[in-house]
Amino acid sequence: MFLKTLIRDRVYSLLVLLIIVSIVAAIIFPATFPTFGNVSQLLLNLSIDTIVAVGMMILLISGVFDLSVGSIVAFTGCLTAYLMEFYSLPVPIALVLGLCSALMIGWLNGYLIAYQGINPMIQTLAMMGIVRGGALLVSGSGIQNLPYWFNAIGQSRLLGIQMPVWYMLLVVFLFAFLTNKTIFFRRYYFIGSNEKAADLSGIRVKRMKLFAFMLSAALAGVAGILLSSRLGTALPTMGRGLELRVITAVILGGASLSGGSGKITGALMGALFMGVVANIMVIARVSGYWQEIILGIILILTLWADNLVQRRYKLNL
Amino acid sequence: MMMNGRDMFIRSLVRYRLICFLIAGIVIGCELPPRNSATITRAVSVGDSVRVGNEEYVMITTAVTMPMYVHHDQAAFIKWGKARGVKVSILGPAEWDVPAQINTIEEVIGTRPTGLLINGTDPAIAQAINKAVAAGIPTVVYDSDIPNSDRHAFLGTDWYEIGRMQGEEMVKLIGSKGKVAYMGILGLTNMEQGFLGMLDVFKNYPGIEVVGKYDDKANVETAARITSDVLSAHPDIAGFCGFDSNSGPGIALAVKEAGKAGKVKITTVDWEPEHLALVKDGTISMLAGQKRELFTWYGAQFLFDMVHQTNRLSHSDAAAGITNVPSTINTGLLKITRENVDEFIK
Amino acid sequence: MIIPRIDIADISKSFPGVKALKHVSLSVAAGEVHALCGENGAGKSTLMNILSGNLQPDEGQIFLNGNAFVSNGPRDALRAGIAVVFQHLSLAEEVSVAENIFVNQQPVNRFGLIDHALLNKNSRILLEELNIELDPSSIVGSLSPAQRQMVEIAKALAKDPQVLILDEPTASLTDESIRVLFEIIVRLKKRGTSVIYISHRLAEIFEIADRVSVLKDGEFKGTFPRKGLSREELIQRMVGREIKTVPRTRDESGEVILDVAGLSSHKFSNISFSLRSGEIVGMAGLIGAGRTEIARAIFGIDNYNEGEVRLRGKAIKLSHPIDAIRHGIGYVTEDRKKLGLFQEMTVTDNIAVSKAESTTESNFVDKYAALRLASDYRTRLSIATSSLDQLTVSLSGGNQQKVLLAKWLATSPEVLIIDEPTHGVDVGAKQEIYNILTDLARNGLALIVISSELPELLSLCDRILVVRRGEISGVLSAGEATEEMILSLAM
Repeated sequence: MFLKTLIRDRVYSLLVLLIIVSIVAAIIFPATFPTFGNVSQLLLNLSIDTIVAVGMMILLISGVFDLSVGSIVAFTGCLTAYLMEFYSLPVPIALVLGLCSALMIGWLNGYLIAYQGINPMIQTLAMMGIVRGGALLVSGSGIQNLPYWFNAIGQSRLLGIQMPVWYMLLVVFLFAFLTNKTIFFRRYYFIGSNEKAADLSGIRVKRMKLFAFMLSAALAGVAGILLSSRLGTALPTMGRGLELRVITAVILGGASLSGGSGKITGALMGALFMGVVANIMVIARVSGYWQEIILGIILILTLWADNLVQRRYKLNL
Repeated sequence: MMMNGRDMFIRSLVRYRLICFLIAGIVIGCELPPRNSATITRAVSVGDSVRVGNEEYVMITTAVTMPMYVHHDQAAFIKWGKARGVKVSILGPAEWDVPAQINTIEEVIGTRPTGLLINGTDPAIAQAINKAVAAGIPTVVYDSDIPNSDRHAFLGTDWYEIGRMQGEEMVKLIGSKGKVAYMGILGLTNMEQGFLGMLDVFKNYPGIEVVGKYDDKANVETAARITSDVLSAHPDIAGFCGFDSNSGPGIALAVKEAGKAGKVKITTVDWEPEHLALVKDGTISMLAGQKRELFTWYGAQFLFDMVHQTNRLSHSDAAAGITNVPSTINTGLLKITRENVDEFIK
Repeated sequence: MIIPRIDIADISKSFPGVKALKHVSLSVAAGEVHALCGENGAGKSTLMNILSGNLQPDEGQIFLNGNAFVSNGPRDALRAGIAVVFQHLSLAEEVSVAENIFVNQQPVNRFGLIDHALLNKNSRILLEELNIELDPSSIVGSLSPAQRQMVEIAKALAKDPQVLILDEPTASLTDESIRVLFEIIVRLKKRGTSVIYISHRLAEIFEIADRVSVLKDGEFKGTFPRKGLSREELIQRMVGREIKTVPRTRDESGEVILDVAGLSSHKFSNISFSLRSGEIVGMAGLIGAGRTEIARAIFGIDNYNEGEVRLRGKAIKLSHPIDAIRHGIGYVTEDRKKLGLFQEMTVTDNIAVSKAESTTESNFVDKYAALRLASDYRTRLSIATSSLDQLTVSLSGGNQQKVLLAKWLATSPEVLIIDEPTHGVDVGAKQEIYNILTDLARNGLALIVISSELPELLSLCDRILVVRRGEISGVLSAGEATEEMILSLAM
């Protein structure tokens, strides 16, 4: 019974895999891998991706995805920095305006996809280019010397761990709770499982989809603000390739492109697994050429093994 | 029963005691970042912690797979490692991703390498460099300087000079008058410096009209497409200046296809084999080349000299808080034209 | 001795945990129409998959014209002359009828390119021969389900098979097309083609089959000549138990719950009728007459231009199904897979979803309440499921239908619209569903039943509305209605 849940639930199987990988890494690199500094650093490095991954997980549960999140990360960070730098707006107002811009982008994505029937991939692909261009437009080559209190958002520490890690945990557990416990967020599972049936069951599918795109964009906006606060700089190149990295993490964490499955904690586990593997490769001094190859192989292997197990499980039913 | 707002507030405070304590705890426990990062950087005790004989020098860049980086920067670094008999590693993301480069630097700091050679891709990496320096790791920046950081040394090219060199050559080539367009990756600090240098030269020549600044996204096809658009919009265009590795080949392709090779002048950067071939056949008039091999060879050597205290300047340079290698090195530029191009073709 | 066309000898097949076929032996003669009966899960599909080469038997052999026939896949079976028309359509939607019919065997010209003129000509000949009125160059995606089914049959016949297997061929056919199909079968019979006919509709079996074989729980229960076999006898052999029918007591005294007045849209016009509590009103008509469209409008899925829907005398505004649900209207759709079930979700989730939407009391999921609800309905509707956490995809058609019924009953509706209540449901479960519906009506629920099976409507309903081309062409009371009357109003 225990083994069955272990095999069927990706969150648990990934956790076991993660523990094994970590133990092996700790044995091989006892001085560098299992240290507080390294672990808090690797958590910090994956915190931005994970916050975006939570929004992406909700989208994938409902059977759609958003390729523009990486650009939204850059745009929100740059716009917020721009407002503080060139209009001398106070930090909180700039933050609110930055997040509103992310929400606007999400609204546009969601409206065109849910209400006008544009294909999500095409819509968000187009938006990815538009928003990236917008980020370049507002920030030029990047905006440095951001206000102290803005930098404090991402650079403060709690219990020796930098704040983005705590924000990430907050976002993950908040949405894990919401998707588990609230009727509102549970609807995404029904929508992803059968969109038409969900509509006929009384779920306002279009409205829910619009909301999901806005939520994902808002989380990407939060990630963009955190990233530029952590770097102390807003760069128009932030979040390049982030969308695919995040989709990879989310699929690794148990989502399926056809919708209906996945858990928020799975998004965390997927990102954590990728972060740990990347960290081990840095420690082992594996060159950047190999990192992406190895991550790609891991993704294919995981899905393939999963497919085998699921098929056997179904036959046994 | 009616309650006023204050009572309500207090009641809810009591009810959510636990959460209030938690929030208070977080606020108190929160440790804000230092106001000015430079002030807390302690005197670096370089050399104290070095395990000589078990040395490892790590280069961290972004876009590690970019051919120009591989053939120049990384090749020279690896060659240096072999010559010195020490271990060298090259790390960083495969794509141009500055935050990922920062993540890599911060993760590498924890593994305590002997020295760090960092590609100065963006001012945003200053904090990561400061962390490395604060951790006592000798840190050298190459390619572009990160002026607001505590790096021990910098080697690189002055991009403003690259711009000036291109500008001056272009003025000569087109006889001080005509329309000029330029392109590169917009939004990169060093490129913007280069643009500035070129424009400062053009300012002195009222006969020169700059018709456009374009983003070729470091992509040959994009550069070619932009060029052919400009050629049809301005049939009388006199010259193009390119600022990234792929600008030159892209511009040259479109100019050749328009049958204007040699008539429309091209200057650009870098001296990869394809650039050299285009100079050889006369499509490109001049290349402003960087001495990238020198960045990493001497950069690594500086790290080595810091670690081994090759040139000690005091009883203890670490205690004195000084760095015993040059602070800023301009490796200078190569000017490659049809006259000397054969010397570079392998 | 006459060698049978196909001889299935002692075939067994098991899947992990299930013995799907146990020593099944039956034979089909040349030119015979052989019906295969059994409830869902009896092993019919497994047997068909073995014949068509999709599965290999564990034991036993198949003889084709006396020769042992071993197939390693559908291609082998096709080459040997066994063609299957599956229940689930296998057509490419974006491609023409002709290309679908001659898929992989399109005629080519001397450059090796598809000769479209010849292809269309061949298709036209074939379609004419089959008496199917279709333009070979039309795109399959634009056809009605009935027309697609005919294309599917033409596709199988294009290979000129010796054995044609039809798996529920009439499920999406109109009565006219069924006539056409039966004519085709009669002609094939004359040509010596053997036809294996699988259907839940006993009337059809009695009309077309020469002999009937019965499977139950993977066991072969014998082959019987149609002549001399009674309907009751056949059902009893299939089900293995007697089916109780609860007699419907008709009570006219309920108050009017639903009032539809002059409803019009581009799909139907001037639809007016009223529905009393405890009443079952049937909607008859040909496929495409607009019955489903009327139901969709009453449920708030599609808009209507004119008229209004009144609930207990008060006009209600319907812009989304949720409005209808909150007013106490439920709608069990026809297409369970596409529009009804969340197949990869549990029985509990499926039952609880609409109730959670209909109440606004709490924003939080109450897992125990959902479980209680599901377990309550499992008992009340006797849904056969190993656990409430079972995924609905693995349930039989009848149990899936009961899950959908439970989902709507959980919203405590006053009006329930049911579109094809027994579509793809086997005989035993059919009767159970009838009993449930009658029971609900007795407890005051007002029901609208849309069905293409006339006997179903006649036995179940108090009144029958006949819909023709988007208009109500007649209202018949249960006492006076006959199949002929309904058909004459519907055509």
